[in-house]
Amino acid sequence: MLTQLNSSAMYLICGSIIAFVAVMCVVFMIRAYRAGVALGMDTTKMKRTITASATFAVLPSVGILLGVIALSGSLGTPIPWLRLSVIGALHYETQVAEAAAEQTGITLSASQMTPTAVVTIVLLMSVCIMWGMVLSVFFTKKYSRKLKGKASQGEAEDTAEAGGKGIVGFGDVAMTAMFIGLVSAYIGSYFGQIKASGNWLSLAVAAVGALAMAVFILIREKKDQEWIDGFSIAGSMIIAMAAAVFLAKL
Amino acid sequence: MTEDRNAFFEQYDKKTHVLGRMTCLICIVLFVGAPFVMGIVLGAMPDLGAFARGFLAIGPVWLVSCVAEYLIYVPMLGSGGSYLAFVTGNLINMKIPCAINARDIVGAKSGTAENEIISTLSIATSSLVTIVVLALGVLLLIPLQPILQSPTLQPAFDNVVPALFGAMAFKYYKGNLKVAAIPVLMMTLLFLFVPSMLGSVSFMIIPSGGIAIAIAYYFYKKAGAR
Repeated sequence: MLTQLNSSAMYLICGSIIAFVAVMCVVFMIRAYRAGVALGMDTTKMKRTITASATFAVLPSVGILLGVIALSGSLGTPIPWLRLSVIGALHYETQVAEAAAEQTGITLSASQMTPTAVVTIVLLMSVCIMWGMVLSVFFTKKYSRKLKGKASQGEAEDTAEAGGKGIVGFGDVAMTAMFIGLVSAYIGSYFGQIKASGNWLSLAVAAVGALAMAVFILIREKKDQEWIDGFSIAGSMIIAMAAAVFLAKL
Repeated sequence: MTEDRNAFFEQYDKKTHVLGRMTCLICIVLFVGAPFVMGIVLGAMPDLGAFARGFLAIGPVWLVSCVAEYLIYVPMLGSGGSYLAFVTGNLINMKIPCAINARDIVGAKSGTAENEIISTLSIATSSLVTIVVLALGVLLLIPLQPILQSPTLQPAFDNVVPALFGAMAFKYYKGNLKVAAIPVLMMTLLFLFVPSMLGSVSFMIIPSGGIAIAIAYYFYKKAGAR
């Protein structure tokens, strides 16, 4: 079965879809860059965004690659490659693949896999997570316009309230707060893991990541080295992940 | 923004929606159609009965999760970024932190043309990096596998997300301690006393984010009143 799943035809099907999404990203990127130039945006800022996002994405991508390897034992390499290159999410794929395998009456292992089970699993994996795209097709235009309307209304109110002092609009405050909420949920869960399973490594790694970030920010502020901003997250992650290797031995 | 710039951005935004909708529709067809094309290669079609049972068992959870993600993340990502992010996936562990980080580095304000451009550039770049890393990884799977799966390095790769959120936590808690204190304390207590919730961390982002926004609003109004 694995030979069939790793055949050139399967690589071709999955590779073509990934290539389409890659082209889509390139088109959006070029359009955005050109629009930025036309709007008079600082090209240095846009280039910094690209550099920072690229360095930021490398390590999580290696983590995602491990997801591909983990699933390749049961689903072959092309299917997890497709799922995790586009649309999928690391925490989602294995969970859904296992649940889908269960519904087809097998467990997620190559020895039990049948062609019917594989294609049923892939269909279920695709349908269960496609709602973000479906909502995008029908609602993003209206939703983002509504948000834009609120943002400009808020900006006008803020400017009036602040007497034109340039106070940051609540839209930005809310975005930062939402992100703080997101991070807090994960940090809280690392404490919970200690009690639930004795796993203190996640919290320790997060603490090292935070400490490394503190050092990067200190250097950035004391030495006025703006370029550090673009690499501070990736740098902190490398330090924290390296620390995990040593901490795990304790 | 001058009138010319406004008109240009309006036009850009309009075309982004056309392009975004079109590409999302094509992707839906590709993703749903792929298992059937694979079926032709493998000589078997999906078992629709098993698919329906599976969908009823796990679909509703992911449907709710997708709707919640959509409502929360579109304001963070802007239009172009949203279309790309919902196609390329890996939102929590990559796209959202990446876009927020880029936005902060250049100091873009939400709802502005600059934020829309920066967010799109950030999501497109990070998606392309993932595609390239995974393509290289698949190409070099045999030589890379022993390194990536070595027991020594396993703790590092098992902790990519804690490493990311630890760094992000310091960056965002610093200067926002008043906003962060209660959500982080509440989430910690929740997961300590109700360990069964550990399987639903991504859902707990909603109340945690809601509390953080409410606290931020309180301080925002207080600052405005002064």
